[in-house]
Amino acid sequence: MEKLLNELKVKIVEILNLVDVQPDDLKEDDQLVGGNLGIDSIDVLEMVIMIEKDYGIRIDTRELGAKVFATLRTLAKYIYENSPELSN
Amino acid sequence: MTPTRVYICGMGIVSSLGQGIAKTKDALQKGLTGIRPLTLFSTAPNLPLPVGEVAGLIEKDALPRTHQLALLSAEQAMAECEIAPDAVVLGVTTGGMLTTESHLKKKAYDTKLYRYHATGSVAEDIARRYQCKGPALTVSTACSSGAVAIKIALHMLRSGIVTRVLAGGADSLCRLTYYGFDALQLIDPVGARPLDKNRRGMSVGEGSAMLLLVANEPENAVAEVLGAGISCDAHHPVRPHPRGRGALAAMQAAIKDAGITAADIDYVNLHGTGTLDNDLSEANAINSLFPQKKPLLSSVKGAFGHSLAAAGAVEAVISAISITDHMVPANTGCSHPDPDLKLAPVIEPSNRTIDTVLSNSFGFGGNNAAVVISACDKYGSAGIPIAKGPFAILGSACVTGVGRTKRTIENISFGKTCKGRLPIQDMSANLSAGDVRRLKRFPRMALSLAIAAHDNSGGIDRPSSVFLGTGWGALSETFDFLTRLYETGEQFPSPTDFVGSVHNAAGSQIAIQFHSSGPNITMTGGNYSFEQSLMVADLLSQDINESLFVIGADESHTPLSRLFDRSVSGDADLSDGGGAFCLKRGQGALGLYLNLVSYENAANNPEVILSLIRRLGGPHNINSRYGALLAGIPAAFRGDGERQLQNFLSISGYKNPVIDYRKITGEFASASAVAAVMAAKFMETGIIPGPLLSGNALHLNHRGTLIIGLGDFVTAMEVTPQ
Repeated sequence: MEKLLNELKVKIVEILNLVDVQPDDLKEDDQLVGGNLGIDSIDVLEMVIMIEKDYGIRIDTRELGAKVFATLRTLAKYIYENSPELSN
Repeated sequence: MTPTRVYICGMGIVSSLGQGIAKTKDALQKGLTGIRPLTLFSTAPNLPLPVGEVAGLIEKDALPRTHQLALLSAEQAMAECEIAPDAVVLGVTTGGMLTTESHLKKKAYDTKLYRYHATGSVAEDIARRYQCKGPALTVSTACSSGAVAIKIALHMLRSGIVTRVLAGGADSLCRLTYYGFDALQLIDPVGARPLDKNRRGMSVGEGSAMLLLVANEPENAVAEVLGAGISCDAHHPVRPHPRGRGALAAMQAAIKDAGITAADIDYVNLHGTGTLDNDLSEANAINSLFPQKKPLLSSVKGAFGHSLAAAGAVEAVISAISITDHMVPANTGCSHPDPDLKLAPVIEPSNRTIDTVLSNSFGFGGNNAAVVISACDKYGSAGIPIAKGPFAILGSACVTGVGRTKRTIENISFGKTCKGRLPIQDMSANLSAGDVRRLKRFPRMALSLAIAAHDNSGGIDRPSSVFLGTGWGALSETFDFLTRLYETGEQFPSPTDFVGSVHNAAGSQIAIQFHSSGPNITMTGGNYSFEQSLMVADLLSQDINESLFVIGADESHTPLSRLFDRSVSGDADLSDGGGAFCLKRGQGALGLYLNLVSYENAANNPEVILSLIRRLGGPHNINSRYGALLAGIPAAFRGDGERQLQNFLSISGYKNPVIDYRKITGEFASASAVAAVMAAKFMETGIIPGPLLSGNALHLNHRGTLIIGLGDFVTAMEVTPQ
């Protein structure tokens, strides 16, 4: 789980081109979307694609998205529990 | 000027419900749907999503599908007419994209394959076929393009510069839009169900529709275009304003422009895409506009699919049909209206007397348009005449390969070129990196130019409207989207790149930055895009009391610039840049004015140079009015352009200096925007530097500068003192 959290931090900073943000600046329990980092709905969709591509999980409703992308920890937990890649 | 009535004297339509007015009427009466799984290209390994695809399109020649769709509807609209239209105004966003995608996938890099990639090439093709000698304008404001094209045509007719305009829109399905909207999770997997409580999104579609609009000639007219309104949400790159602020503003502007009241509207043809956000936003706007009794309402996108740039024109034709055939089309796909929307859409096609229709079209970037169509001569009012004329220059800025405004002007003043490609950090030095982290080269360039022009104006006025011209738009985003799409086996395209690839995304960024809620129009007319944006600003500015932006910008890109732009393909080094103006009607502190004087098609038009000279007031006026001439000859038209220039010089007897400006700026579609800024900056000092003229400095002595564009169109702009 810790490894997954760190991996996600690096990926998110990279794919969202978060300028002047280091992976460690992403705090596990901070609000992920709409918080200080300026992550918005378009970024969420970019993360959705990354999660499907890298972890084989599809998040395709807004209700599920709101739950999963609440914090970095909820995201990691959802991936951890649902990813066919990680269970292999 | 007398008031103008604008009649629809011919209509054409091609959609997933068939080709031609008769088939469309039949399908609407029966409540049919044209939405079916995509067959146009393979989506393996995924199952095809439902789309509104045009069936049975017989390909006539090598033209891309959008061009063929456009031609089919143009043939219908022009069937009864032997007179050439004075102008063609089309909404197009995909252009030759479907063809381009196939070639890029195969990495086929022969420039001939991309000849018809440009969105502007659709209107140019139609203009050539119908011997149109006037402007061929291309609007790319995403899903409102077709309706905005009608608004522009309406103002052209009211201004008296033309009497017949072929206006409409065309877009074919392509991978960019199919996968792009899917990446944004805006596609309903069972087909669009607008206004339904279980709706999940839209169905991408394709099609074309054209209206032959004629001023003051009601013979053979089917309906009248009473008015149209446009606005910008200035809220978000993709999502509409939740309360429908911009949608309401566009509808109110259309009703005002039509000279009627909301109570006169019998039927509203909704934008109604079927996405959660659009339908809610539009419903909020409708509920605000009609607080008590509502007109009949329906969205046809559950039947046709959403044909993007064509949709506004398709739905204008449907609106006219609802008037002529006393019929309200069904809100196909909606079986359980969403109670949250507080609307009661027409579920089954119904026969009712309809005299006045409001048709809505809203696009990405909060680009909203609404059109009012009525039975002929139903109302006493006629359109308000449009007064055109010069804009006062409040400020200007440019960027080229050597730097931003100051550096560019210095270089030119020393007789050096400013070719090349500025590093992106330098180009957007006035932008905060965090704020523009998602913007690539083109939107950064446009936003940076707008901010610089506004700063140069003193920053007092807040421009309320944005008119942006670009030959090629966001090439980086388009290329990156397709590259990742192909690299991931068409599985994982980037939603961010799709949003950025839309031509009007840059204009939307400017609107968000400046809270500009007036018209926000992106014109994509190849080498004449800046001139097109100036023309449209001129036509629409009667509604605008505040200052406005007119901008021209183009990014260079490897490999796309060389593939798409024939003027670039021979150049060893790529160049790009642009220019921006902050303008206003009336007076400005600088005492300088920018004006578009002429815009004509050189094809089918042997007298184009004579006509230009006439429009400029004849040889004497040209020699006394203009101290210098900046001539823009795109490399692809070097031979023809030089002949046109010689012809102009010999007929007008023009003796003052001529500057062949593309030799300074390098080759890119919006080079004329840089030339216009160059002219303005020199006129601020009153002197054209000697090195630029290979001789002595030229004192303009209160004379102006003429900027002409040559090639397949001949255009003229002037920067003049008070």
